Amino acid sequence: MTEQAILFDSSRCSGCKACQVACKTWNSLPSPLEKNSQEWNGSLQCPPDLGSNTRLIITFNEGDNGKKYGVNWAFGRRSCMHCTNAACVNVCPSGCLYHDEYGMVTYDAEKCIGCQYCRSACPFDVPRHKGSDDILGGSVVINKCTGCPDRVAHGRKPACVTTCQPGALDFGDRDDMIAIAEERVALLHKKGFDKARVYGKDEMDGCHVIYVLKYGIEQYELPENPKIMGSVNASSKVMKPLTALGFVAVIAGLAVCYISGIGYHRDTMRYDEKKHDVIDVDTGEVIKHIDKEAGER
Amino acid sequence: MELTRRAFLQASALAFAGSMAYELSTQSKAFGIESSEEDWKLVNTDEYTNICCYCSGGCGVICSVRDGELINLEGDPDHPINEGCLCPKGAAMFQLRNIVDDKTGEIVHNPNRITKPLVRRAGKSDWEDISWDDAIAEIARHVKTTRDENFVEVEDGVTVNYTPAIGSMGGSQQNSEEEYLILKLMRQIGVIGIDNQARV
Amino acid sequence: MTGHYCDFKNADVILTCGSNNLENHPVSSKWVQRALDKGATWIVVDPRFTRTAAQADIYCPIRSGTDIAFYGGLINYIIENDLWQHEYVLNYTNASYLINPDYNFDVSTGLFSGWDPTTKKYDTTTWGYQTESESTWDTSSTGTYSWVSQEGVPEFTPPTLKTPKKDPTLEDPNCVWQIMKNHYSRYTIDKVCEVCGMDPDTLELVYKTYASTGDPAKSGTILYALGQTQHHYGSENTRIMCMVQLLLGNAGMAGGGVNALRGEPNVQGATDMAMMVYDLPGYLHWPTVASTPTLRAWCEHETYSDGYYTNKPKFMVSFLKEWFGDNATVGNDYGYDWLPKVPKNGDDYTTIGTFELMNKDIMKGYFAWGQNPAASDPNTSFNRRAMAHLDWLVVADWTETATATFWKAPDMDASQINTEVYFLPAALIYEKSGTILNSGRWLQWRQKAVEPVDQAKPDYEMCDLLYRAIADLYRKEGGKCSEQILNTKWDYYVDGKIDPRPVSWALNGYNVEGTDFSKGKVSLLNGFANLKADGSTANGIWIYGGYYNNSDAPLDPAQQPVGRRGHDDPGNLGLYPKWAFSWPANRRIIYNRASADLRGQPWNEDKMLVKWDGSKWVTNDVPDFAANKTNADGTTEPIPPNNKAFFMKWEQNANLMTTGMKDAPLPEFYEPFESPVKNTLNGSQNSPMIKYAENESVKKGDASQYPIVATTYSITEHWQTGAQTRMCPALDEIAPQQFIEMSEELAAEKGIKNNDDVRVFNNRGSVKVKALVTKRIRPFTINGQTVHQIGMIHHWDWTNMFSTGDVVNDLTPNVGDPNSYIPEYKAFLVDVEKA
Repeated sequence: MTEQAILFDSSRCSGCKACQVACKTWNSLPSPLEKNSQEWNGSLQCPPDLGSNTRLIITFNEGDNGKKYGVNWAFGRRSCMHCTNAACVNVCPSGCLYHDEYGMVTYDAEKCIGCQYCRSACPFDVPRHKGSDDILGGSVVINKCTGCPDRVAHGRKPACVTTCQPGALDFGDRDDMIAIAEERVALLHKKGFDKARVYGKDEMDGCHVIYVLKYGIEQYELPENPKIMGSVNASSKVMKPLTALGFVAVIAGLAVCYISGIGYHRDTMRYDEKKHDVIDVDTGEVIKHIDKEAGER
Repeated sequence: MELTRRAFLQASALAFAGSMAYELSTQSKAFGIESSEEDWKLVNTDEYTNICCYCSGGCGVICSVRDGELINLEGDPDHPINEGCLCPKGAAMFQLRNIVDDKTGEIVHNPNRITKPLVRRAGKSDWEDISWDDAIAEIARHVKTTRDENFVEVEDGVTVNYTPAIGSMGGSQQNSEEEYLILKLMRQIGVIGIDNQARV
Repeated sequence: MTGHYCDFKNADVILTCGSNNLENHPVSSKWVQRALDKGATWIVVDPRFTRTAAQADIYCPIRSGTDIAFYGGLINYIIENDLWQHEYVLNYTNASYLINPDYNFDVSTGLFSGWDPTTKKYDTTTWGYQTESESTWDTSSTGTYSWVSQEGVPEFTPPTLKTPKKDPTLEDPNCVWQIMKNHYSRYTIDKVCEVCGMDPDTLELVYKTYASTGDPAKSGTILYALGQTQHHYGSENTRIMCMVQLLLGNAGMAGGGVNALRGEPNVQGATDMAMMVYDLPGYLHWPTVASTPTLRAWCEHETYSDGYYTNKPKFMVSFLKEWFGDNATVGNDYGYDWLPKVPKNGDDYTTIGTFELMNKDIMKGYFAWGQNPAASDPNTSFNRRAMAHLDWLVVADWTETATATFWKAPDMDASQINTEVYFLPAALIYEKSGTILNSGRWLQWRQKAVEPVDQAKPDYEMCDLLYRAIADLYRKEGGKCSEQILNTKWDYYVDGKIDPRPVSWALNGYNVEGTDFSKGKVSLLNGFANLKADGSTANGIWIYGGYYNNSDAPLDPAQQPVGRRGHDDPGNLGLYPKWAFSWPANRRIIYNRASADLRGQPWNEDKMLVKWDGSKWVTNDVPDFAANKTNADGTTEPIPPNNKAFFMKWEQNANLMTTGMKDAPLPEFYEPFESPVKNTLNGSQNSPMIKYAENESVKKGDASQYPIVATTYSITEHWQTGAQTRMCPALDEIAPQQFIEMSEELAAEKGIKNNDDVRVFNNRGSVKVKALVTKRIRPFTINGQTVHQIGMIHHWDWTNMFSTGDVVNDLTPNVGDPNSYIPEYKAFLVDVEKA
């Protein structure tokens, strides 16, 4: 089976968030039902980040355009990048996470032991877990973009791609998606968007989500050089056999990895949406409290 | 047999002549069939075509139905305007009827919807239940009383036959056949004050 | 729309002005992107830098409510720089027609000739043409209008055709061209910038880019919506766009036209269906006391002297035959007297006036069908208080709307309100079947997918229950003019159950002979060309003729034009003539005759809609002109090309100047009702014909108290009052809060930070919302003065179990346009403070 990829062209995205809704409805993911319980953070980016039942968000960033009017309004996409060299797969002690036949990173939820190390290992801070801060309750189980393998197996595109009106999302052979992206970037350069570039082609040995970034990468909540953490790479080889030794041993092994984690890590910090606290993932310490009352963002 | 049709053209489609038979062959494969996997969300669903209820773009949607219940709603891939795509509101149309309960994860009828007739009596601070029969009988009586007490037959020597006392608002949400019936119902009791969402 | 959504891909330049098409008509993004991929340029003119603006090639800011200044400047630029499409303008418009020499516009007063200060209305005589010659209809048995003399046709005196005087050199000072040129000469680039608030370089770039479509081979499209129409001069805003499109030769072209992106799913249908005080289905006029008290008067007053509307009596008699059935005969004027006549104060019965009538205890009963005026109409707090005067209210909807629960509003005391309120639970769109129209005039069939939940019912069933119950009461008890009710034909049943399909027969039209609804028998008409004025045909809305015309399968919508699903695309222009049906007569682009020159050759072969090949018309679209004529012996022959490109006008030429509007023959700029600045283009601050401004409830605010311009709008994640979208948790999750957008400058001035709670208020009300502080909004400099503007979304009220908020329309002014009665939601005054 040829490798497949999702293409996201930020220069075509209209920021409508239909992809977020389609993901929710196809995958039967709940939204909060308690009256007025969804927090708003002063931006169209909503929810502000991925969550235990939110696998995909569109990001909004307003950059200076150097002109008299308007801004460089960057619409980005934040979801699983489906890496070839996927830190989450490497580190998963239970064999829950794996690459499917198209190269997408999916999982067998039954096997998830709820250790959440995949989240910590991910250079994009993507995997989330139901039951962690969760409205559904129950045991802690991974929840992240799967690339809709059920749809793909039935000749359909992932739900987010299918619904995209402006054609910012596409799905197909990875090589084709890269070719379209490169052609688009060339056109954007011609139109004067000097910082336009392809992202995901080589990152993490090649992602199965390819981005066309219209503006500078700093407007997209993406790491410039996402790296597999050395220790994770090394430890994963050690980690896998450990799974057979049982839960306690696994946790012990994980602790080693936490401590030795190096390199870029988007989120060694976690944001508590309810308390507005920034928390160190490793220590659990509150590093910073964001004073929403004072308009801090 | 590979079924390539939406339920739109059901059995009667077989009797189609000429160009319409051609149309059958241009339709994409239906979503809900040709799967032996029982865990395929759309297994054994019937498909019905409908049109989005929001901006007047006229986007086509496919409603997938199993055992009389809506299982999925998404864009109609054969529709020339939206080509299978839907905006956030269109993509959420499924939730007008069914939503995911955030406590149990079960799919339930939307609890915000009102599905039985209600009446609010004068001076009361809440609704009471009422049957359809009683609601219709009471409304008809109100209409007759108000109309008969406020009816102009002749004005400036002209036969005018109108009532200034009843108004009707709406129509942009209904299907055209319903608009005609609303218009006819209102005008035939002499209503002048007719308006719709064309302007609000 | 004169075109349709897929047609946007054929444009060379797209001008979005008065709409936010990516956010509020998201499917437009697909077709705009296709145009861009082919090299088109996209201009967005908007007070705010929207998600739409973010994708455009050129963005130009504009102060809300100043569109006529913007377009007037464009007209001046096109004329001054000789960028207009000469052959098109000379032949297909009334540019060369001579106007009454007494016509005048007085800049110092802002008034056109004909103003009557007592009635505050215009006499439009001086706006009309000079007459060259007069001719009458030939109604003899061999004449063009022989049908008038046939048995069964109501008696009326046919109109006289007054052929106007013309000056093809366009030099006569009284010709439309010279008057228009002179009128807009005041609208210079500097003047426009001073009024609208953009800088001259940006404005000139916009003008130059859009005027490039004056090249005959090129087409430009204008996408507009309520940003243009929701002003007290909204109709004139729309007209001036049409003028621009005529000057550039864009009307009738593939990729051209004037395209209203309509905001409700079937608002196109509702306007077609005349769900308005003065209208009769198919853009005819409902009988009025003043002009059309009898059927004869209707035929004489409404029938055009030339062009397609010479056929109006056929449409009207067929309408009456469908309305009253066998009870309509030529002897009783086909039942005309039973139709209610609109009284002289008919304006009081439109939306805004209706609430004044409730307040005065004149209107006592009210039906709201899927409409939520307690949250969506202007000055809603007044409206809610007015509704408390009602004896009874019926609401048919899906949820507890603000209208259904106006007595539960935070500012209302239910114990003091005696209104009896009925809530009728309605079926969802996929719980019933029927026809819906999109903005592109496509009629499409909706299939019922599931049964309604619990006791919910389709609106058509509610109508039937109500009709039968009311008719029963009158049958048993008698009452005022009971024949009005009992003579109405109401037989839309299949197997004894109310059903939309027989209504489709009525809307399509049928031969009276050979039709008996009660027996399920119908002889459907092929199209509206078959309609007759002698009582032998019946039709509910003439423009729908042909959408449901297959008599072999009257109960199967799939075998009707409305149910077609073919993908043929002749000319590769996205016309899709075999997908569903487009009124009129399946035309996809209206005025398509104007896509070709006087000899019938397309201005651009790649965009060929119609073409004269020397002996006949070759077509990709259905001709919107007289392409063939039928001889006395029944044979048909082609009509060679002529200049009659706009045959729905009696002149058969488009009108650059008109007598058809109440408030101006040429659009003129006036300031919004509430504005922080003075009108510097003429001596009248507001349009002299503004509606309802003197009502006490309006409570006008002035700039000394309320210096900030506010405008209301929608976001892509929600819709209208949110009654539907706030019941969808996935939408509340992606857009949970009502907010205002404001500039960093204004926020700093007011000590407001992003995400703060703020209070927005004026004389009419006060609401608490969140602040979104952004560089996307900038203050304007108008006449040298700084003007701040805020944008408010309007999707919330106190109802709903998932998401609630204040009612923003408590702040909007209940004043309106004299032609369409639309309220002025888009520009009014407020102040803002930290809450």
